[in-house]
Amino acid sequence: MVNIIYIIILLLGIGFLLPITEKLGKKVSNSMFFLTLTSVSVISVQWLYAFIINGQTSLQFFTAGVKPPLSINLQLGLSESVFITSINILALIGAVYLIKHFNNIGIRSHVLYLLMILGLNGLVLTRDIFNIFVFLEITGISTYALIGSDLRLKSLIASFKYMLAGGVASIFLLLGIIFLYHNTGTLNIDGMIAASPLQSGLKIAGIAIFFLFFALLIEMKQFPANGWALDVYEASNPGISGIISAAGTAAILFALYKVMPLGNDLWFNTIAVIGIITFIASNIMGIKQKNATRLLGYSSIGQLGLLLAAMGLGFLYGGINGKFQFIIFALFISHFIAKAGLFWIAGIVKKKEIKSWGVLRKSPVLLFFTGSFMFALLGFPPFPGFFGKWELVLTLANKHQFLWITAILLGSLIEAIYLIRWFGYILKEKQEENETIEQGATKYSSVFILGTILFTISGLYMIYNPITNLSFYFYPLLFIAFLFITDNILPAYIKNILSIAGLSYYGYVYFNQFSEFRFIFAVIFLAGGILTLIPGFVKKGKRVGFYPSAIIMYVGLLGLLVAKDMFSFFTAWEFMTIGSYFLIIRGKRSQPHALSYMLFSLGGAYLIMFGFALTHVFSGGNGIALDLLNSIKSNSALIFTMLAIGFLTKTAAAGLHIWLPGAHAEAESDVSPMVSAVLLKAGVFGLILIMISSLRFDAKMIIYLLGWLGAITALLGNLMASFQEDAKKLLAYSSIAQLGYILFALAIMSHIGWMAAIWYAMNHFLYKALLFLAVGAVVVKLKTHNMYEMGGLIKQMPFSFVSVLIGIIALSGVPPLSGFGGKWLLYNAFILKGWYLQGAIIAFSGVVAFLYLFKLINSIFLGPVKDNFRKVKEVSIWYLIPQYIIIIAIMVISAKPKIVLGKIGDFITSYMPDNLVVWKGDVASSYMNGKLFGVWDAPNIMIIIGIIFVTLLSWLLIMSRKAQKVEMFNIVYSAERPESPQTTHFSHNIYSHYRKALGFLALPLIVNFWSFIVDSIHSIADFVRRLYNGNGQAYIMHILGFMVIIYFVLFNGGLF
Amino acid sequence: MNLILILGFMLLAIGFWGMLTQKNMIKIVIGLTIAEVGVQIIMISIGYIKERTAPILDSAVPLADAVNKVVDPIPQALVLTAIVIGVAVNALILSFIIRLYKEKKSLSIDDYKEMKW
Repeated sequence: MVNIIYIIILLLGIGFLLPITEKLGKKVSNSMFFLTLTSVSVISVQWLYAFIINGQTSLQFFTAGVKPPLSINLQLGLSESVFITSINILALIGAVYLIKHFNNIGIRSHVLYLLMILGLNGLVLTRDIFNIFVFLEITGISTYALIGSDLRLKSLIASFKYMLAGGVASIFLLLGIIFLYHNTGTLNIDGMIAASPLQSGLKIAGIAIFFLFFALLIEMKQFPANGWALDVYEASNPGISGIISAAGTAAILFALYKVMPLGNDLWFNTIAVIGIITFIASNIMGIKQKNATRLLGYSSIGQLGLLLAAMGLGFLYGGINGKFQFIIFALFISHFIAKAGLFWIAGIVKKKEIKSWGVLRKSPVLLFFTGSFMFALLGFPPFPGFFGKWELVLTLANKHQFLWITAILLGSLIEAIYLIRWFGYILKEKQEENETIEQGATKYSSVFILGTILFTISGLYMIYNPITNLSFYFYPLLFIAFLFITDNILPAYIKNILSIAGLSYYGYVYFNQFSEFRFIFAVIFLAGGILTLIPGFVKKGKRVGFYPSAIIMYVGLLGLLVAKDMFSFFTAWEFMTIGSYFLIIRGKRSQPHALSYMLFSLGGAYLIMFGFALTHVFSGGNGIALDLLNSIKSNSALIFTMLAIGFLTKTAAAGLHIWLPGAHAEAESDVSPMVSAVLLKAGVFGLILIMISSLRFDAKMIIYLLGWLGAITALLGNLMASFQEDAKKLLAYSSIAQLGYILFALAIMSHIGWMAAIWYAMNHFLYKALLFLAVGAVVVKLKTHNMYEMGGLIKQMPFSFVSVLIGIIALSGVPPLSGFGGKWLLYNAFILKGWYLQGAIIAFSGVVAFLYLFKLINSIFLGPVKDNFRKVKEVSIWYLIPQYIIIIAIMVISAKPKIVLGKIGDFITSYMPDNLVVWKGDVASSYMNGKLFGVWDAPNIMIIIGIIFVTLLSWLLIMSRKAQKVEMFNIVYSAERPESPQTTHFSHNIYSHYRKALGFLALPLIVNFWSFIVDSIHSIADFVRRLYNGNGQAYIMHILGFMVIIYFVLFNGGLF
Repeated sequence: MNLILILGFMLLAIGFWGMLTQKNMIKIVIGLTIAEVGVQIIMISIGYIKERTAPILDSAVPLADAVNKVVDPIPQALVLTAIVIGVAVNALILSFIIRLYKEKKSLSIDDYKEMKW
């Protein structure tokens, strides 16, 4: 093994040698430069290998041949080697990225870079406190100079402010060091810790540690003393910003970690609080930020705050070992790689405004990595931060630190607002055709290598994480990786075949593995997946980005069913969310809707995570099995509510629904059925899980309220649907209502109620997929969503007409189709339960549903044909195939409902034995107090209605032989002066009179509520960030003010 | 010794006062330098032991008796390092100010506020 001191010798020696060898030419000096960085990386990797694989124990290296305190010692243990390896490898990749920039500036930048890396290594390795000062200054000076070396005005100003802040910080650091030395008689950190100065009770020890920690907190760029840091991130060359943000902060974090044991619990708590305030404040301010690199600066500082909070909490709860080591490393490495990567991409894009980042679409590889880095920062699976955040929340829950969990999740959610919005701009915002991004192998390859490292580490986390076994994801993720890699090569139809084959394979493998209601959901997810993929054959070209996203979503959905523990469930939930987000945002005008979908989902997901953590704690703190939901001992109502709200964001219950109409309506035509018919059921699955668990405790009140919520959702959804002119939006609102029925039925908590819920879930999947496919295909053909622009298409599109007709009959719940069964079950259920008032709302909203269903078929297919659509032909066969498969399925289960309900009934009986439905063949009966209450004879209804239908139809045909067709010009308006052309259309706003009567129910109260929240956050952000007024002097003032605040908090204003 | 310590803190305070009140960037740097000197004096005074001499081994301080004759040498060594580093940083800051002045012909820190919020 190479003595670690050679890292310092190499960096320093070559650094000083370079100016001399410069005379030998650029090639020689560049080779020396890279050779040095490579050797340093190799040395550190070699040590890392020794520590991880060979179980090497921690080592001390002494300088000057004597032991401390007479000499300075370097310590190298696992943590040190992890940090220096990360730093040195990043330095090497960063050097590749920056080499052109460096060559333009000249050899001095090479030297400065080596010195900066030397300083960072030293900060990690040294165990001497004065040495920390020295290395901090070496890092500082070389960084200042490196930032300013391009001589641009902005970088000079930023560097100047940085130097002032750094100067003030080092004054306090020196004060702290000298007082500590005075107090303990040593400069060696271990010696100081052994002397435990705070416990010795000397006043001077308190102030010494105060100065020491304060100086390091400034270097950690904590709020509010960090205005200078933002300027540094904004103005520096992004290559250097990346290094500062990742490696620079890593080293300082580690230095702080080394001296942390000098503090006491009060300090640990204070540091954690400072960290979390920085995390939240920085992210809030980020919301208003439009400048890309400055925004990354806000995000960097926020992440540092989170790391600091985790470290403070770790020390507070017994030191950084075990869990906290895992947490901090996971959070650290995500930030480390992702932030460097994003800064470097910013250096390639070279667009100041985040709205102009659409140019990234010119490079799919960079686009992919940008997304990966952002999702890694946000802690999505499979990235390390996901594991870190879960463990952090779980560990804090175990300590009953619920306020902390709330703060951390809140901060993360706020961070998501600007990162997801930014990514939305990248994916969708319009860009000038002639805009380009920089080309150049060095920068691209650096980002590529960094991204590859991120995915390698993520893969290791997925395989070796100590939380649970995620092997289910192994092959699916490989498949997704394959889809990503070949995305730009394979044509869409091959990917479609592969995807359908993949889903079919999993359907085959898991067919017998699921029991009870999981089986029903498996059918919905997998059959739904295959059916909704079939229309994909229409697409020409490659359809880049579609298949990986769709498969991620379906893998997530399947993962929900496979999950045996809460972590796997949550992983699946997040995969599903990512996949569906990328599907939804594909629509032309989907960007804002995808953003709100993501934010609601993420908010819901965090509630679910919180709820799971509480489940773990309040079921005895043993393990994370999903079954623990059934053995919660206390606070069960609270946990139930959190999880319920989490799942209700996905089912779009009233109040949490505002994302749905836009997201579903603006999505591509084959995506709408995926996210509507299939995806919404994930929330239902979650609700069923927790409602089963609620049988073990008293949640009657909450469930009663959920029943009301379901009824109101149903009414509002249907009313809103009736007032839509956009065909897909109409269907989207209808979904909200249907999910309201399901929630209402579940809340009844009886045998027959649950049967209704599952029947509705199954049926909504079928008829909503049918309607969205049919209407979606028409919309694609006509290139408009507006129903008043359609009309009379029955002749051109007879097959679509039949689909929609079957769809609306099934949905409306009139006999004989399956919807009737749903209504029969539901009405029985609420009457038997005695929920008359809510039942009345449900019944009324059922009537409202007729309005929009009639409007749908009337406006699109009936009436006169529009001139411009006279030559329109039937929609593509690929849309019709899944529609007719669904029609067959609807017919079958309408006539033989027991196929679905039989087994489900047995399963429900085991939980809820009251209000049984009794089956005789395919005839269902319900009983009240032992007396026959209702009968549903599906097969006979089918036959009778069939006969009536055929009779009436033939009678009608015979009677109306002489009827004259109404043509376009038959419609006469008398003395009417229309203001716009569409108002003259026969089916435009046909329910305006209902709107007058009931419109108050459809007022955008909820939308207004959420916009109020958004506006408030924006104003707070804009208010707080005015603190950073750009004046370097003000920043010094902030630093000193920050000191006074911490002083008063810690010492209560006493004199040390 | 206490007097020197107080002097150090006074210099520190004067330095900070200068940094916070002066608009001229060079004066701000001078404030920083004064504060640094203050810290250096504080460091020296902390290592001082009454009635002892500087930790330099020469004819006045025989090697055998040095432990009892000189003040604590470590703070003195630290101060030397701190001075060197301080000089380097200050030189760098001043050179940056020259650059800034060339760009904008102003030494007032108020004129360099483009980046904010």
